[in-house]
Amino acid sequence: MIDCPEAVRRMWSYLERALESKPLEELEAHLDTCTRCCGELEFNRHLREMVAVREGGPPIPADLQARIDGLLSGAAERAAGQAGDTEAPA
Amino acid sequence: METRRRAAIPSGRPAFADVAREHLERLYGFCVHLARDRTDADDLLQETLLRGMGAYSELREPERAKGWLFAIATNVWRDQLRARGRRVQTASLDALDEDGDGFSLFQTIAIEDPFPYSDELHLDFLRLFHDEDVQAVFGSINPNYRLPLILTVVHGFSCKEAAAVLDIPLGTVLSRLHRGRKELERGMWDYAVAHGLVTKADEP
Repeated sequence: MIDCPEAVRRMWSYLERALESKPLEELEAHLDTCTRCCGELEFNRHLREMVAVREGGPPIPADLQARIDGLLSGAAERAAGQAGDTEAPA
Repeated sequence: METRRRAAIPSGRPAFADVAREHLERLYGFCVHLARDRTDADDLLQETLLRGMGAYSELREPERAKGWLFAIATNVWRDQLRARGRRVQTASLDALDEDGDGFSLFQTIAIEDPFPYSDELHLDFLRLFHDEDVQAVFGSINPNYRLPLILTVVHGFSCKEAAAVLDIPLGTVLSRLHRGRKELERGMWDYAVAHGLVTKADEP
């Protein structure tokens, strides 16, 4: 039987579905008997979701998007040139 | 036919531009996390795409393009830090004491009871944080601990994939993730106290 500190240590991995079967079974057995840890797991789930959503990053600024589009369409043209077995344009 | 294949991108794989566009928003978000500055993030994204374009024919598994692009961004950022004469952080930081290890945000909120009349004490605490507050807390976490957290929680990489992106051993990623979560928990509590979002139980 694992104790509360060990259960807490495994919670984020649990939320990421990254626990191996034995640590997973041990954690679930602990959660069956410990309402305190169930509460902390729920809290961690909310905290994790908040981070995942809030830290996703800002949208790409329009001027940067325009530069990227230019860069990538140039790449597409060069790739098309290569596929057609012609010399890549300078 | 053979010579042409060797020179060009192998047929049947998506064009670099399409691959880049598919992951562009995520990649930009990661660049902002690395650089913590919009102008630097713009440069970083463009340089990453240029380098990726040049190396695309070396990518053996196009389905791994996302991690590959993130790894290039990490390398470009490290090169840019070096070029500016800044020391790239090394693993020595991992030898720091485990001081923050015992901290539990959940426990601290329960003990300090910042909203005595709340039925949803812990959720009310999280609701205090707006986007800029979360960003400020994240910005205060050491990048060595912040980046594994960002890669797994925000961008959905497994620990193994995050290790490949950052080019560090899996065990190092696991210990830094643990440390990063603890710094996040402590950072959120300290931020809430410092900005007067909560009143601790021992204060009037």
